Amino acid sequence: MKQYQLSTSEKKFVGSHILVAVLALAVGSLFGPLQAFEHAGWDFYPYLRPFIKSYYQGLTVHGVLNALVWTTFFIMGFLTFNVIFALKRPLKNPTLNKVGFWLMVVGVVAAAIPILANEATVLFTFYPPLKANWAFYVGLTLVVVGSWVEGWGLFMTYAGWRKENPNERSPFVAFASVLTALLWQICTLGVAVEILTMLLPWSLGLLEGVDPQLARTYFWFTGHPLVYFWLLPAYISWYAMLPKQAGNGKMFSDSLARLSFWLFLVLSTPLGFHHQYVDPGVPPVWKFIHSMLTFSVFFPSMMTAFTVVASLEHAGRKNGGKGALAWIGKLNWSDPSVAAQLLAGILFFFGGIGGLANASYNVNLVLHNTAFIPGHFHLTVATAVTLSFMGISYWLVPYLTGRKLWQPKWAVIQTWTWFVGMIIFSNAMHIIGLLGAPRRVPLGLAPYVPAEWNSRLFQVGVGGAILFLSGAIYLLVMLKTALNKEMVKEEVEVPMAESMQDPALSPDWLDRWAPWIYGSIALIVVVYGPQLIEQIANIALTSPGFRVW
Amino acid sequence: MAKKDKGDEEFRPTGTIAVLTIFVITLIAIWATIYMILVGRGGTL
Amino acid sequence: MHIDSYERNWMIFSIVMLILFATAVSVAAFGMGIQVPAPEQRVDPKTVATDPNSPWSNPGLREVEPGKYDAYILARAVPSWEYLPKEMTVPAGSRVSFYVTSADVQHGFKIQDTNANFQVVPGQVSKLTITFDKPGTYNFICTEYCGSGHGVMYGSIIVTP
Repeated sequence: MKQYQLSTSEKKFVGSHILVAVLALAVGSLFGPLQAFEHAGWDFYPYLRPFIKSYYQGLTVHGVLNALVWTTFFIMGFLTFNVIFALKRPLKNPTLNKVGFWLMVVGVVAAAIPILANEATVLFTFYPPLKANWAFYVGLTLVVVGSWVEGWGLFMTYAGWRKENPNERSPFVAFASVLTALLWQICTLGVAVEILTMLLPWSLGLLEGVDPQLARTYFWFTGHPLVYFWLLPAYISWYAMLPKQAGNGKMFSDSLARLSFWLFLVLSTPLGFHHQYVDPGVPPVWKFIHSMLTFSVFFPSMMTAFTVVASLEHAGRKNGGKGALAWIGKLNWSDPSVAAQLLAGILFFFGGIGGLANASYNVNLVLHNTAFIPGHFHLTVATAVTLSFMGISYWLVPYLTGRKLWQPKWAVIQTWTWFVGMIIFSNAMHIIGLLGAPRRVPLGLAPYVPAEWNSRLFQVGVGGAILFLSGAIYLLVMLKTALNKEMVKEEVEVPMAESMQDPALSPDWLDRWAPWIYGSIALIVVVYGPQLIEQIANIALTSPGFRVW
Repeated sequence: MAKKDKGDEEFRPTGTIAVLTIFVITLIAIWATIYMILVGRGGTL
Repeated sequence: MHIDSYERNWMIFSIVMLILFATAVSVAAFGMGIQVPAPEQRVDPKTVATDPNSPWSNPGLREVEPGKYDAYILARAVPSWEYLPKEMTVPAGSRVSFYVTSADVQHGFKIQDTNANFQVVPGQVSKLTITFDKPGTYNFICTEYCGSGHGVMYGSIIVTP
């Protein structure tokens, strides 16, 4: 078996992303259980002073490190690996990518200092007029800019390949990775404008006030496609790698896989108002239009569900699976990377259902800012994405380091404990959300908690405890693997599923960038332009900053 | 690169339909439950 | 482009299902009057609580006509986390239009067991109208992080029989 060889420095470069990502997850995940225990009435925060001053400081660390740092670093590392490996060529300008990586690292440090000093207890959404220390905003900006720079490095590499292979179909994994990086560049414009034109000058004393409604509009321009930045790398693995790992299955439909990615590019951004359904300053007609577009973006996920499950079924049947559902048991469950991603996919079904409900215009009146929301996103970013990334790391880290995965049985246990813990935690959160429980509240101490929430709050604590155990096992496996003296006998085989249909037969228009990019930009202009113009024209910088923590 | 194996031509994703049917029934049931909560709580105009 | 027939049927089904959901949502919104908040008014958060011309400088219920009320509610974190007023009483069957704004940071405003759910944004006024048919106590709670006291910020509407 001869696969494309990454150089040692390339492996180190990818590996440094994974390292930062896992360190972020380690620290960020400490606070998750504390929050869950608090909900169950076991409040450990008083013991954490003087280091952590409040539930909310912990929640800020949890959100920023898990939802921004763990994700962004893992994703950029994985996409970088994908582009090099699938295109079988080194980065066009490795120095550029390194610059991008270090900008991100500096950004994390710059933001971490005020967060840990309790000067940026503004949560991961940092909604003004909550005002953080200026270094927080600088740090976030550097993380985003650094990821852009790495993205440019990936685009240049792809362009180099395309120049030398004008008539060849792009390898799916490379195509999808470059698309994800491109989607990220487009969508981060919103939060970049929010920070650079309002929050940063304001925090430096150059602006007297901000317009919080406009800030929300900028933020959620980015905030929804952000979840696709998180999700698409997991989809890449589910489409193109998991079927191989699960039992030598093939990708069921190369064309539809590519089409689904194009649809994500076009449809991820022009629907941010679905996070603003109950905002006062956005007219219902635009909220409604964005809700219809959100229903549309559900469609490529439905396509993904079919293609991925069919590819897995192909693997299952190859291994002797019979019957309507029994083939599922014939997948390679003993491989921790497979188990992680299959379990992630199962919970993602429920995450998608909750997401659809959230997106359904007035149905959001039942759900906005209730505990249903964290219930939902722990199924999506914290399971579909995070558990899949854990699963990917179970082969990627041995591949990058040349060391054997430490105790694969423990890795499998880790995936199942995450699954069980998350079901208990998330189910309870969804239910109390429907019963009216708010998010972002230390419910263990809230005065308005009725008796009917109590059993579920207890379940939240139990789920949190199991997740804590699972997280600890993951970190132990990663640490022991990185230090493992037992080396792999030969380079870990990078799982790449073949395509059932020859990719060369999929239509040209699925491999041409310009029309799709123009289309994406045009749609964004049409559904965001009028409101952005209106809100900017009527901007009122009337809100001074507050430090209310 | 795709080598056409013997079985590929005959593979029909019937199990996929089974899985997705369960998914869709669950989706509709949950969505409808939340919708009925919305309707039950009354108008806002 | 070759598409497997099962996959094609699934794609068609998905589109039909999404259209049905969109229809149900539209019926609830345009047919049953269950709508999301619309832009109501801009205010200056720095003066909204103190300007004598601002209804929120004297927050509370105003009876507009028998059985119909306007409720002006001010959310704030400074000097303490609370709604003004924290309690209102109306008879069952009352229609209450809520006008909520903030004197400082973003807040939430969610009246339990009703469809009133606001993101309260300083500089903006959130408005929805709720008819309280059933007697009882309806808590309204803050659902957006607004600082240390976010978790104890709530009020109630008491609906008498």
